[in-house]
Amino acid sequence: MATETAIGASSGTTKGETGFRHWTALRNAAILLVLWEILGRFKLVAGGALPAPTEVLIRFWSDRGDYPAHILATFQGASLGFLIGNGLAILAGILFAVSPVAARLGRGLNVAIFALPPIAISPILVLTFSGMTPRVVLAALGCYFVTMSATVTGISQTDRRMLDVVRAYGGGRLALLRLVEIRAALPAILAGLRIAAPAAVLGSILAEFGGGGRFGLGAYLIGSLGRADPARLWGIGLAATAMALIAYGIFALIEARLTRSTRAVTVAATPPGIRSEGHWLSTIAITLASIALPFIVWWLLLKVLGTPAMIAKTPAGVFDYLFLAPSATSAQTRLLAALGQTLPMTLIGMAAGLAFAFALALASVVRPGIVRSFMPVALVTQTMPLVALTPLLVLLLGRGPSVILWITISVTFFPAFVTLAQGLGMVSRGALDVVRAYGASPFAQLRLVSIPASLPYLFAAMRLAVPRALLGVMIAEWLATGTGLGNLLNQSRGYLDYGMIWTVAVVSVLISVLFYQIVIVIERQMLRKRGMQPAA
Amino acid sequence: MTSQTGITLETVSRSFQGRGTVVQALDNVSLDCPAGSFTALIGPSGCGKSTMLRLALGLDDATAGEIGIAGMKPQQAAKAGLTGVAFQDAALMPWRSVEDNIALPLDVLGRKRSDFSAKIAELIALVGLKGFEKALPGELSGGMRQRVAIARALVTDPKVLFLDEPFGALDQILRRQMNLELQRIWMESRATTLLVTHGIDEAVFLADRVVVMQSRPGRIGRIVDIPLARPRLPEVFTTPEFHALEDQVAEALDGH
Ligand SMILES: Nc1ncnc2c1ncn2[C@@H]1O[C@H](COP(=O)(O)OP(=O)(O)OP(=O)(O)O)[C@@H](O)[C@H]1O
Ligand SMILES: [Mg+2]
Repeated sequence: MATETAIGASSGTTKGETGFRHWTALRNAAILLVLWEILGRFKLVAGGALPAPTEVLIRFWSDRGDYPAHILATFQGASLGFLIGNGLAILAGILFAVSPVAARLGRGLNVAIFALPPIAISPILVLTFSGMTPRVVLAALGCYFVTMSATVTGISQTDRRMLDVVRAYGGGRLALLRLVEIRAALPAILAGLRIAAPAAVLGSILAEFGGGGRFGLGAYLIGSLGRADPARLWGIGLAATAMALIAYGIFALIEARLTRSTRAVTVAATPPGIRSEGHWLSTIAITLASIALPFIVWWLLLKVLGTPAMIAKTPAGVFDYLFLAPSATSAQTRLLAALGQTLPMTLIGMAAGLAFAFALALASVVRPGIVRSFMPVALVTQTMPLVALTPLLVLLLGRGPSVILWITISVTFFPAFVTLAQGLGMVSRGALDVVRAYGASPFAQLRLVSIPASLPYLFAAMRLAVPRALLGVMIAEWLATGTGLGNLLNQSRGYLDYGMIWTVAVVSVLISVLFYQIVIVIERQMLRKRGMQPAA
Repeated sequence: MTSQTGITLETVSRSFQGRGTVVQALDNVSLDCPAGSFTALIGPSGCGKSTMLRLALGLDDATAGEIGIAGMKPQQAAKAGLTGVAFQDAALMPWRSVEDNIALPLDVLGRKRSDFSAKIAELIALVGLKGFEKALPGELSGGMRQRVAIARALVTDPKVLFLDEPFGALDQILRRQMNLELQRIWMESRATTLLVTHGIDEAVFLADRVVVMQSRPGRIGRIVDIPLARPRLPEVFTTPEFHALEDQVAEALDGH
């Protein structure tokens, strides 16, 4: 209705301005390319670990026979996972939007899916399934949360007045869904699909890291890791990035065609169903059921699949392995040692990534030019399978602990920056104008308005960062440093130590969920004290 | 229950729980609109007019009291397709064309749209939107959207019609025209009509009775009967009787 026209009007920047922006963006890109070429040609970075763009292109051309099969394999895994994951996500989103009880029951499962580091369950999937299935599952899991929460948000933000019209003619729940809510949620759902598309590509590639199949860009990347051939690795990395970008672009186009809505580039990191009403006993019962549900689903899946008990560990099996079996103490020691390496790195990397993002976002309030020149880069990285490019960073940074930090920082920094910068951009002009009218300096403006107002977005960024940080650390450990949980997982894969594979997967999901919940609890307390609402 | 298609409110109250305070939107309101009557509801902003309409449409439940629409519960009457409504804001669906928006009640009630295509075309002509059948609400002005909402309210040939300030966004000339049209439609259909308005002249011109409400708590202050003969022509606006009636309503609004 009225909002639609308002959006159309507000997004209209003048032609000259956009032309100017395009021009600067092109110029910056050209400068970057030339710099890169010089650095590569003269082997200025890490003894040739960064090949020049032309070298990458030449290598790509001589490898051109290899690519089609790999790209096709990744595409198959990603697209099938995309279809299944989003189909389920939309259905689940509708269910959660319609039934608050279902939303509260499903919360545990949703948080687990949001928080699970894909790499942690990739070996399990490869063990339990065969062929393309692990890729499909991981791609589907990558899509699920984004699209599910987009659907819930879309439906629950439907204009109440339109619902009233339908209800005034006696329309029931189904009529509301059919005639209003699903259609009203379409822009949000499409935005979810757009963000889910690159996530599906990433999911497929991560599953390929875990083995199972000769083809796929991830398999190609792992297979080429041993050779000292940076140009090929860069070629594969760029091909994966291009694939994710194209997937994103296609859905952005469809979305632009079907709706004229403004873009949301980041993912909502709040699962639906937080509000709890009713008797405290039923609240506790539902919360417990919601926590139990992921375990029940895990157990049921294994029963249905009928995987042999030696390979497939049920919740009880993992408990047995870790606490009761004769080898339990050795398992515990190894696990604790790995955790001792992984957890500090995760926290440090996440803190550093968030701190950089916060600092840059605040700086961009004082100097808006920063956002203008940096935002496009940050937005593009949102669609890149960043963690899948770890081998490239290994080339550049070697196999020391610093590579872990850089990977973790890079996967947490960009989404945090986008969330924060967009949040700060929404701080009302009015509030800033008031303090400006009293002659406040830029720093006083930050202190009085921007920093307090950015609190909800800082927490939103933190929620997003938790699972990504753990994923980044584990991938770096697996592929580069040979330490921590990531390495334990990789080793156990080699030794066919099924108990440990399952244990690492479960423990890393639990840790991620735990961190996430801690962030949520602190967020609620801090924001409630200030009378603020959490940002999506 | 009085009549076949009447509206009855018996000691209806509705309060809203605010933060720490309770807003008494309607306090012990009783009103009986006989079948085929035209009642105008007028009163200061926030006195509970829209609330009363929402209760009568079954969109909201009264805290106390009984409401009957054609002898049924509001929701039953709605499901039976007896009611028609135009809300204070047009509440059109931005993805539906003008035609499709007008046809919405048919979709909700599960009626075949093809049986109504002539009716829809007639209504579009009536509200002066010929040529805009395929336009989307985003391409219409505020007044045009409101006219779509009026056409939508009439598409089912309702026996009971609720109108919440349907002409609020129209200019004075168009408003007069629509008043005349509404009178014509009402005289043909004899639908029991409840019209919420802020225009004293509009209320007096259209209604059999003007119900004047007072706020805090929302309640009925006075009911002014309008004994003017029908059909009322535009000239009636300038007659002394008309002015006298307007003055009565205005006085009641001031709380006398
Ligand atoms: N959903 C709600 N929650 C809380 N209070 C409400 C709600 N709906 C209405 N009210 C309150 O009830 C009172 C009556 O509101 P209502 O919308 O019926 O007024 P109205 O007479 O239609 O006013 P107007 O002429 O401005 O449209 C107001 O004080 C309003 O704040
Ligand atoms: Mg109102």
